[in-house]
Amino acid sequence: MSSPARNTPAVLVVEDEILIRMDVVDIIEEAGYKTYEAGTADAAVKLMERHGDIGILFTDVELPGSMDGLKLAAHIRDGWPPVVIIIASGNIGIQKTAMPEGATFLAKPYAASLISKTLHEASLKYQ
Amino acid sequence: MNEKAAPADPDEDASPDILSSVAVLAPRGRDASVAARLLEKDGIPAVIVTNLKGLAAVIYNRIGAVLITEEALSESGTESLHDALAAQPSWSDVPFIVLSNGTVRHRSDEAARQMDALQNAVLLSRPLHAEELLRSVRSALTARSRQHDARRRMEELQLRERQLYESEAKFHAIADSVDQMIWSTRPDGYHDYYNQRWHDFTGVPEGATYGEGWNDMFHPDDQENAWAVWRHSLETGEPYEVEYRLRHHSGEYRWVLGRAQPVRDEDGTILRWYGSCTDIHEIKMAEQQRQLMLGEMNHRVKNTLAMVNVMVSQTLRQADNMEDAQASIQSRIGMMARAHDQLINANWTETRINEVVRAALAPHRTGEGRFAMGGPDLPIGSKQALALTMALHELSTNATKYGALSAEGGKIGVEWGIADDDEQSFHFGWTESGGPPVQKPKRSGFGSRMIKQALAGYFNGVAELTYEPAGLKFRLVAPNTGLTL
Repeated sequence: MSSPARNTPAVLVVEDEILIRMDVVDIIEEAGYKTYEAGTADAAVKLMERHGDIGILFTDVELPGSMDGLKLAAHIRDGWPPVVIIIASGNIGIQKTAMPEGATFLAKPYAASLISKTLHEASLKYQ
Repeated sequence: MNEKAAPADPDEDASPDILSSVAVLAPRGRDASVAARLLEKDGIPAVIVTNLKGLAAVIYNRIGAVLITEEALSESGTESLHDALAAQPSWSDVPFIVLSNGTVRHRSDEAARQMDALQNAVLLSRPLHAEELLRSVRSALTARSRQHDARRRMEELQLRERQLYESEAKFHAIADSVDQMIWSTRPDGYHDYYNQRWHDFTGVPEGATYGEGWNDMFHPDDQENAWAVWRHSLETGEPYEVEYRLRHHSGEYRWVLGRAQPVRDEDGTILRWYGSCTDIHEIKMAEQQRQLMLGEMNHRVKNTLAMVNVMVSQTLRQADNMEDAQASIQSRIGMMARAHDQLINANWTETRINEVVRAALAPHRTGEGRFAMGGPDLPIGSKQALALTMALHELSTNATKYGALSAEGGKIGVEWGIADDDEQSFHFGWTESGGPPVQKPKRSGFGSRMIKQALAGYFNGVAELTYEPAGLKFRLVAPNTGLTL
C-alpha cells in the first residue's frame, strides 16, 4: 500500500467488541492513518466534537445503547457532512437505503487488504 | 337379507303356495268339493279345512283368501279364529268370501256380528255361480298380494331409515373422535355443521357460529386475510388453505391450519364444502423459536469467526516464525473452543467465575499443586468469561514457556474477590513465584495485549502487568458491574 499524503484524514473506529477494535485499529494504523476509537455511538459523537481532524468514520452496525451504527452514520452525516462513512457488519442483509448516501459497506470479518483499499478510496473522496 | 325377528314368525317359512292359496271351509254338503274343483280348474290352489281351528291355523300361515259358508261361522272354534285374526300384523287384512244362507233380510244379529268380526268380507249367495265365485276369489287374491308388496316396500323403507340412522351415528362418532375440528358449509359458504371438537376448542354453544359467525373467532389481525382466502375459494372452487390464530375457550389465541375442499355432483356443481382446522400452535411456536435460534446462532458464529480472525491476524503480526505462529494459533483456537463449550452449557448468558477459572487452567495443571486458587463464585457474563479464559490461557502459556511453570517448584496464586470498601470493586490477581528470574519481553505480543488492554476493556476496568524479578504479577481492578456488563 502506498503511503497516504501528509494531510491524511484521521479515522474514527466505532466497534464494541474490544478485540476486533484492537485489530482494526492495528490494520488502519499500519496503513498510515491516525485513529480514534470508541465502543459506543455516544462516545463516538464526543470524539467527533473534540477532534477536527477526523475525516473518516468506520463504524460497526451492531452497537450497544440507544444509537446503532446506522443511526450514528446518519447523525454524523447531518453534523459533519464532509466526513466519509464506512459501515461494517456481519449481517450482509443491511439495506442500502438504510445507509447515508455515498456510504461504503464492508462485510465482517474483515480482510486487512480490503480495509486499506477502502480507506484509500475514502481518503481520496475526502480531499 | 337375513332378519330373523322371531323363530315363530309365520312369514319366515310361509311357502309361496299358501300365500296364493284359498282356504275352503264348508263342513256340510258338497259345497267344499264343488268349490275346490272350480278353483283348481282355474289354476287356483285350494286348501280344504274342516273346522274353524283348522282355518285359524292356515290364517296364521298367511293364507291368501278364505272361502267359508255362513253356517260354518257359528260352529265351535270362533275364538281361535278371532285370535288368529287379532294376531295379524298391521299390513295384513285376510279377505273372506262368505257363502250366505238365503237373503240378508233373514240374518240374525248374532250372524251379522260374526260376519262383521271378519272385517274384510264379501257375501256370495248360493247356489254357487262359477264366474261370480272365481272373480271374487281372484280379486281377493290380488288385493292380498298387494298387501305383501306394500309390506315389503315398508320393510325396505324401514331398513333404509335404520341404515341412514346408523350411518349418521357412525359419521358423528368418527367426526367427533378425530383431533381436528371439522366443519361443513352450503355451496354459498354458509356454515351449518361443526363437529364436537370445534365446540370443545372454542367453547361456543352449538349454533353460535353458524353462517358467518366463525370469522369473529379469529384473531382480529387474521380475520381479513382468512375471509379473503375463503371468498376466493368460494368464487373459484379452488381448495381453501390458510393459517390463522383461533380463539381458544381459555381466551388465548392459538395458531390453526384451516383447510377445505368442495364436493361436486356429476356436472361439477359444488354441493358442499368440507373443511378442517388443525391446531398447529406448538409446531408454529417451535418454528419461530428455531428461526430465532438460527438468527442468534448465525450472529454468534459470525462473532466467533471475527474473534478467530482477530486472533490469527494478531498472532501472525507478532510471530517470529511460522512454526511458533502455527502452535500459538492452534492452542488459542483450542482454548476458544473449550470456552464455547462452557458457554453453551450455561445457555450463553451467564456463567460462574469458579467454573471459568477451573476450565481455563485445566490444560496447564499437572497435578503437582502448582496453582493456589481462591475467590467467591461470582456470576460472570459470557463476553467477560470468554475474555478471562483467553487472558488466563495467555498467562498460563507464558508461565509454561518463561515463568513459574517452566521451573520445578514454581507456583502461581490466582485470587479474586469483591473489595470490602464502599465501591465494592472487583479484583482479579495472578502472582507467579519460584520461577526463573523474570525479564520484561522486548515487545508486546498478542498475549500481553490481550491481558493488558482487551481484558480490562471487557470488564470496563484497569489492568496492570508487572515483571517483578521474583515473578510476573497481574492485577485487574474493575467496578463489580463490569463482571456482567
